[in-house]
Amino acid sequence: MELQGEREKVIIVRYCEIHLKGKNRGYFEKVFQENLERALKGIRHEIRRLSGRYIVEGFEPGREEEIVERLSKVFGTHTLSIAYKVFADLETIYQTVLSLAPHAGSFKVQANRADKSFPLNSMQLNAEIGARLLAARPQLNVDVHDPQHVLYVDIRENGTALVFANYVKGAGGMPVGTAGKGMLLLSGGIDSPVAGYMIAKRGMKVDAIHFHSYPYTNLQAREKVEELARLLAAYTGGITLHVVRVTHIQEAIHRSCPAEMMITLLRRFMMRIAERTARRCGGQCIITGESLGQVASQTIEGITSSESVLESLPVLRPLIGMDKTEIIEVSRRIGTYETSILPYEDCCTVFLPKHPLIRPDLAQVVREEAKLDVEGLIAEAFATEETLSFS
Amino acid sequence: MIYFDNAATTRPDAESVSAALQYVQDAFFNPSALYREGFAVHKAIEEARRQLLRLLAPQGRHALLFAGSGTEADNQVLFSAARRGNLVTTEGEHAAVYEAAKELGKRGVEVRFAKLEKSGAVNAADLLAKVDAQTALVSVIHVNNETGAVNDVAALARAVKTKNARTLFHSDGVQAFGKIAFSLPAEIDFYTISAHKIGGVRGAAALAHKKGTALAPLLYGGGQEEGYRSGTENTFAVMQFAAAAKKRLEALPQHYQNAERLRNALLALLDKEFFTPLSDPSGSPFIFTVSARGLRGEVLQHMANERGLLVGTGSACSSRNRYSRVILACGIEEKMADGVLRLSFFGNESLEEAEKAAQILNACARELYAKTR
Repeated sequence: MELQGEREKVIIVRYCEIHLKGKNRGYFEKVFQENLERALKGIRHEIRRLSGRYIVEGFEPGREEEIVERLSKVFGTHTLSIAYKVFADLETIYQTVLSLAPHAGSFKVQANRADKSFPLNSMQLNAEIGARLLAARPQLNVDVHDPQHVLYVDIRENGTALVFANYVKGAGGMPVGTAGKGMLLLSGGIDSPVAGYMIAKRGMKVDAIHFHSYPYTNLQAREKVEELARLLAAYTGGITLHVVRVTHIQEAIHRSCPAEMMITLLRRFMMRIAERTARRCGGQCIITGESLGQVASQTIEGITSSESVLESLPVLRPLIGMDKTEIIEVSRRIGTYETSILPYEDCCTVFLPKHPLIRPDLAQVVREEAKLDVEGLIAEAFATEETLSFS
Repeated sequence: MIYFDNAATTRPDAESVSAALQYVQDAFFNPSALYREGFAVHKAIEEARRQLLRLLAPQGRHALLFAGSGTEADNQVLFSAARRGNLVTTEGEHAAVYEAAKELGKRGVEVRFAKLEKSGAVNAADLLAKVDAQTALVSVIHVNNETGAVNDVAALARAVKTKNARTLFHSDGVQAFGKIAFSLPAEIDFYTISAHKIGGVRGAAALAHKKGTALAPLLYGGGQEEGYRSGTENTFAVMQFAAAAKKRLEALPQHYQNAERLRNALLALLDKEFFTPLSDPSGSPFIFTVSARGLRGEVLQHMANERGLLVGTGSACSSRNRYSRVILACGIEEKMADGVLRLSFFGNESLEEAEKAAQILNACARELYAKTR
């Protein structure tokens, strides 16, 4: 029996952690729903809140996969299901379950009844639909403990039922915008997009800043960073990218300071510029992709040197204890890896010393830096700033 | 803006673009269609084909089939004619031949790469030594796209055929056609030409092939181009190609002389403290390659770009393809290969442009040297 026309596909979005937040729950739910709305920009839809989840409906048939793909990236989403919304009478429900049921293997029906006036309770509904399925599909068998397939029936209060057979895993975490705002140092590498992802996952709004040294680096390197920002934006609900040229700073360091101190000193400039940009834009912290000891500038001495220039903002380093392989794993999962490994240099090798300082001595760094017109160089860098938005 | 990257692509000739526009407007018909309008377009394409053959191979020994790009034409020859025995080619080939040859190698064909002279021309003795009784195809680029070195492909083809009469000979003539006077000799079985290096648009190229020589299609379908290359013809690009080629060949003597003047001016004016010419004076005057040893070519290119000069480069700010494979194959050391810039002309540029370009490059090199030494 064909039921087309009588049933509509809808998407169930279940959220996580939000219910833990007690008094703040209303606020978290509001932000989460706004983020869902933003993720569906350009697709006609309605989002309704039921207890503990949202229902997306009213979209054009055939777009459900795309909607699930987009919503699965919204932090706060625990799981999603594509469900059929049908009239809540037993025959219609059974026919819908039948259309989703496998032809062989073990299964169970898991009914849930919010509408207590429905004639059968959950247990009875499980038994009734299960029995009918067994009769219709002799190769099926029931296994309530470890079934291969679960068929879900959810009787709503308004005389409708949701029937579905699949769960899609969402991005998890907290709704972006519920945990303040940070400024991510975004290079073209593997680590920084992962760092941004991880912090956004905890609910923080992320903006990014990228430093380039054109003409020593090329336009492809810049395009690659923009692409990374675009990829991150799908998780962070849009991203503002600040692009700042630091060529003249590299040249000045090269001219006046020891070669092996290039990275140490440049990092300090980047931190200063990032902090000032963050404060101007309402950012409350700096986020970096540093992982302890991964490269020379990421030793504790290197970190001490770069962090000591900050005036008031803390630095979040979500990757600090992760191995490269673990970072790569996340990078692949979130879809930034393939872009990150494009071979364009994001920092010019012309100025890179053969042996960078591994354990810079802060006092010596400060002494060398004193040879430079720090404020003048920073002002010159800000004069090159460009701001791009990705949604 | 001074545009000295004509070996990459040229500005399409406006006159022939206007003339050919009718084929994307009123005369848009499919040339395979059997009504008068379609047949008229078919006739126009055949006239374009005859015109190009008159320019390239007037003796009537060769036929010409249109392709979508020089790369496609090169690939068609290699994958058609080098299926067994061995393939002999050079280390100075354009990627369209070089990568196709490497792919054939993976598929079990023995591929032999002949060494280059310092100029980028093939070492003829090494090439001939690699040809034997099993050699199915020899492919030698006519004008090296990175250094401008000219291979005497007519003589090489003769020598190859003397050694093995059954060996087929292909030459990629993309940087030669319309740039050096040349008429296709009988010994060359396949010859690739492309529109967009001589004032044509992208999307049109051609393969001249000796009549009676077996050639397999790369694309199968509706049987266009006598079955050698199926796919509805790109009428606009083909018509514009023929018109641009005709115009170009008529202007070639002046453009050639002028290109020599431009090259000589740059040779004289570029600061010897920074720039070493890599192109040999005997090469095509349309391509002048220099190295700013110790400076990075791509950085210089960016700096020149900001001052309004567009040039090509032989190195990249990239961890892959950092140095040009061809430049290294010329025996040039890495420090030199890192600083490669390629200046290439259409032939109608003014001497003032060359002088200005030299000034810009000298200033960039001085500045970069001062900043990075």
